Amino acid sequence: MEFVLEARGLCKSYLENRALKPLNLSLQQGEIFSLLGPNGAGKSTTINLFLGFIKPSSGAAYINGIEVARNPVEIKRYLAYIPEQVVLYPNLTGLENLSLLSCLAGYRYNKQELRGLLMKAGLQSEAIDRYTGGYSKGMRQKVGIAGALAKKAKVLLLDEPTSGLDPKASNEFSVLLQQLSEEGTAVFMATHDIFRAREVSTRIGIMKAGELVHELRSGDMDANELEKLYLNYMHD
Amino acid sequence: MIRTISQKEVTSVLRDKRFVLIGVIVVLLLVAAVITGIISYKQLSAERTIAQQEASNDFKDQPARHPHRMAHYGSYAFRPKSSFSFFDFGLDSYTGTMVYLEAHQQNSSNFSTVQQSGSLLRFGELTVAFVLQWLIPLLIIFLSFNTFTQEKEDATIKNLLSQGMTVGEIALGKLHGYLKVLTLILVPALLATFVFMFLANDLKFNGDFLLRLALFVAAYSIYFFIFLALCILVSAFNQYSRTALISLLAIWIFCCILLPKITANMGSLLFPAPVKAEMDALVHHAASKGIDGHNPQDKRRADLTKKLLAKYKVDSVSQLPVNIDGVIMAEGEAYSSRVYAEEFDKLADTFRKQSSISEWAGFVNPFQAIRYISMGLAGTDAAHYVHFLKAAEAYRYQLTQHLNHLQASKLKYHDKDTRLDSSHWKNYPEFEYRQPPVTFALSRHWISIAALLTWGILLLSLFRYLISRLFKP
Repeated sequence: MEFVLEARGLCKSYLENRALKPLNLSLQQGEIFSLLGPNGAGKSTTINLFLGFIKPSSGAAYINGIEVARNPVEIKRYLAYIPEQVVLYPNLTGLENLSLLSCLAGYRYNKQELRGLLMKAGLQSEAIDRYTGGYSKGMRQKVGIAGALAKKAKVLLLDEPTSGLDPKASNEFSVLLQQLSEEGTAVFMATHDIFRAREVSTRIGIMKAGELVHELRSGDMDANELEKLYLNYMHD
Repeated sequence: MIRTISQKEVTSVLRDKRFVLIGVIVVLLLVAAVITGIISYKQLSAERTIAQQEASNDFKDQPARHPHRMAHYGSYAFRPKSSFSFFDFGLDSYTGTMVYLEAHQQNSSNFSTVQQSGSLLRFGELTVAFVLQWLIPLLIIFLSFNTFTQEKEDATIKNLLSQGMTVGEIALGKLHGYLKVLTLILVPALLATFVFMFLANDLKFNGDFLLRLALFVAAYSIYFFIFLALCILVSAFNQYSRTALISLLAIWIFCCILLPKITANMGSLLFPAPVKAEMDALVHHAASKGIDGHNPQDKRRADLTKKLLAKYKVDSVSQLPVNIDGVIMAEGEAYSSRVYAEEFDKLADTFRKQSSISEWAGFVNPFQAIRYISMGLAGTDAAHYVHFLKAAEAYRYQLTQHLNHLQASKLKYHDKDTRLDSSHWKNYPEFEYRQPPVTFALSRHWISIAALLTWGILLLSLFRYLISRLFKP
């Protein structure tokens, strides 16, 4: 089985400060991996390394078997990134924003197909032709997901996707991720939401001070036990 | 990819109500400037044609007179409006419109529009050139100052970059998009201009006119491109929209207001022009005392008399077959005109030197380049004015010499009473001024043309490089 996302001894230091200690991690198609940890634990650093926005100090990150640091443009074909706040052009409608995103990724869709993608990402049909200036965070996120669908991404990177979402939107988001996972997309997300992570993920990692201190399958324990485990690590 | 960005910019701009409002205002101003320009062109050129006709008729309709009386009666040269002057009034409002042509002296031109109007005109007129040179750059600034900074502030730039686009490609897309928006605004305005020009139907649609029009469009297109490219560069360089806007407004004030005044003042400081009275006194002095001071008028007359007596082998001036009064008059006119022409050329040269500083400044400031090109094409610059003055002076000289010749050949010595028949002036050709062709304007403004082209070509070829060097995330 080949891995669509892989870290081999991936490490990042800023001067004396080790932002990420050597990380070994691999995800297969359809797996959802949640990275838990406090602010400053190195979650965003890890995501930025996979995106190629920063260069590793040693080790390497691979997307679809291609080394990120050497092919920063090529790997973007297989990868979609949804930041904590999805930013869109407020003067364009949801449909036009998606059209722009997919055009830049090299895909041309007609209006019907774009509409289909937005509906699949869970955007209400009456919102599709409204300007995104009036969208909520959840709605903008859905446009982002539709962008990932549009470019047929194999890997989806998410940075704190559920923070600031209301419970219903958060739940819809979890359902959407599972749907993507069933279609073979690998999902890697950094989150604070232990409950969502436990519910939606196949695997969970706990990160502290730049180090992956614990890794488990989400079936191994329930949410309460997971929270206890997490807090134990943080109290040390 | 570049076209996708371009399309996005066009859509965003057209949906921005603020921009649409500013755009509509600018187009309305442009159309208003065209209409008022054409109306005032029609009015002024009709007035001047009538005035010229009346002056010429007055001269022709003179009864039988002594020819030297006619030389003092004189005539008038009215400067016709150039058919493109409605586009760019240039110096036209400040330069005189009429010269009184008489024997013995070269009068300065009088009755400028400013002289005849209230003080309000001195604050500037609404002309097409004003809108194009001052306001459209402002419009371009408001249109594009935040094109990069907004994307940085909203972090949308990351979206674009994470799709594998380079900053250069994004910038080219933006450039393309904004050029399209400008075209959308200006082409209808240009078409409206055509319609009004056609309706005015006083204008002569010959090859020269169309060539000027094409050059106008080309020069202003380059000018707008330069401003737009600068705006995008500044926006890429700045991190915040407000600093980008302030930088661009500072550039606008410097280029469109400060530098032109500074260079103009430098010009008149470095190359001071003589006062009109000073120059008149100089010409008068040189004419009576001789150019070098050793050849005074009396001596020149005595020499001429001696020469004529020797030539016709007679003893006294009354025996000469020609009237020596006329000959002496012609000689004096020729001499003083030569002196005047020399002084006038020096003066024109001083003016040229004064403006040359502003012209060379075009390499620093594209505004000053387009200003001279525009005035030149409209035929309202200093060079065209000088061209008219020289034509008027040439006519004055020929007319006076014609009358001197009549006096020399048809009248007796010291005859002050005989009157020549009116047919002698009835058939003399009228003053008819022909505006020089477009090549005249181009040859006078090669510095400004070179400056504008240099700006355009440099920005076009270095745009991607500059963007990638200047871009700050």
